[in-house]
Amino acid sequence: MNPKFSAYANPDVLVDTEWLAAHLNDPNIRIVESNEDVLLYDTGHIPGAVHIDWRRDLNDQVVRDYVGTEEFAQLCRRNGITPDTTVIFYGDKSNWWSCYALWVFTLFGHKNMKLVDGGRAKWEAEGRPLTREVPKYPETQYPVPAERNDAAHRAYFQQTLEHMQAKKPLVDVRSPKEFSGEVTHMPEYPQEGVLRGGHIPTAKSCPWARAAAPDATFKTREELEGIYGGELGLKHGDDIIAYCRIGERSSHTWFVLKYLLGFPNVRNYDGSWTEWGNMVRSPIEKGA
Amino acid sequence: MYPEPLNDLIDLFEHLPEQERRENLIVMSDGAAKCGPKEGEPFDLEDVRKDEECTDTVGIFLRVDEGDRAHFAVSLGPKVQTLTKAMTSILCRGLNGAKLQEVLEVPADFVPRIIGAELVRLRSQTVYYVLSRMKTAVKMFMDRRRAAAAAAA
Repeated sequence: MNPKFSAYANPDVLVDTEWLAAHLNDPNIRIVESNEDVLLYDTGHIPGAVHIDWRRDLNDQVVRDYVGTEEFAQLCRRNGITPDTTVIFYGDKSNWWSCYALWVFTLFGHKNMKLVDGGRAKWEAEGRPLTREVPKYPETQYPVPAERNDAAHRAYFQQTLEHMQAKKPLVDVRSPKEFSGEVTHMPEYPQEGVLRGGHIPTAKSCPWARAAAPDATFKTREELEGIYGGELGLKHGDDIIAYCRIGERSSHTWFVLKYLLGFPNVRNYDGSWTEWGNMVRSPIEKGA
Repeated sequence: MYPEPLNDLIDLFEHLPEQERRENLIVMSDGAAKCGPKEGEPFDLEDVRKDEECTDTVGIFLRVDEGDRAHFAVSLGPKVQTLTKAMTSILCRGLNGAKLQEVLEVPADFVPRIIGAELVRLRSQTVYYVLSRMKTAVKMFMDRRRAAAAAAA
């Protein structure tokens, strides 16, 4: 195991690129690429990897929500995933969308999941192979999960409002200018503005990127403890909600808090600022 | 309404089945690297920058010939999205040789006709970006030429 991983609360949730390169033909794993760039997988991907598209495959096409249990089972079946398969996620943007996909899989109770530390960027930077060949796997018999367990991992608007009123920890992982209200979008996405800029009252700012090293890998346990425990003051038993604009960057932070640092009670508010900033009568704060 | 080469590309893409449309967009994306400026190639205007609308640096290089026709080269940073790369190829093919005024008047409504409804989404809006930068370059060129002419008069 990568020596860096052993310090994390859950070392088994990460694999490094070297491990993955040695396990490309392991029948017990399924490599899943999940990106923001909708055509990136088609330009070349890790050999054997299947593509899960956050909007097409994970989002309900009518309601702003995730797919139901039947659709999730179908998604797994057509990608050759069984309940025993270890799903290895990776993707672009420092694994934003692969963390998001892993988080959605968590809602359905899939047990065996790992993330490639450094994601697609590190694999490419190391000159490792990419292919345009789309793999075909025999359809599996993935059973329909009994339920989607949102309660443990996901926060809705009303819950977040009550969380704020109770002054429980809220972590805003957007950029500083989004937090202060100076902009209503992240820097590269001006078309995504909402009606009001600012943040949820009582939330603390901690941009997601603080958890990532320049090569898209996660920072060490010690560094992460310094940020989230030291600077933010989060404590082990805290009930924590993280949010961003649509829930993908906060999935990255959710992964860090839950698996790398071992906070047991962390939820992702995927409605995030697109919901809160537009919601009638929701309170906001401006400024750093 | 559109310069003829661009119109031909729009016509081609909007009649393709979804899978073929995707495959052709990938081909176009692959071709984006060839759209960059060649070593020693002269340009009348160079506008290289990263701004809030794109995830990486984009350079627009404009040469204007004696017939007032535009010739573009475009350099793209490595983080530019695949669809934006594809649109770069399409625009370089579709607008090269168009009159400056024609470039300014090209409406952006052809973009969804090329990439299709499935790919028009929240995080793919940078497909509009390269066209807007090309138009900006043309406008900057025309403004500078007008200013130079006024100064000379």
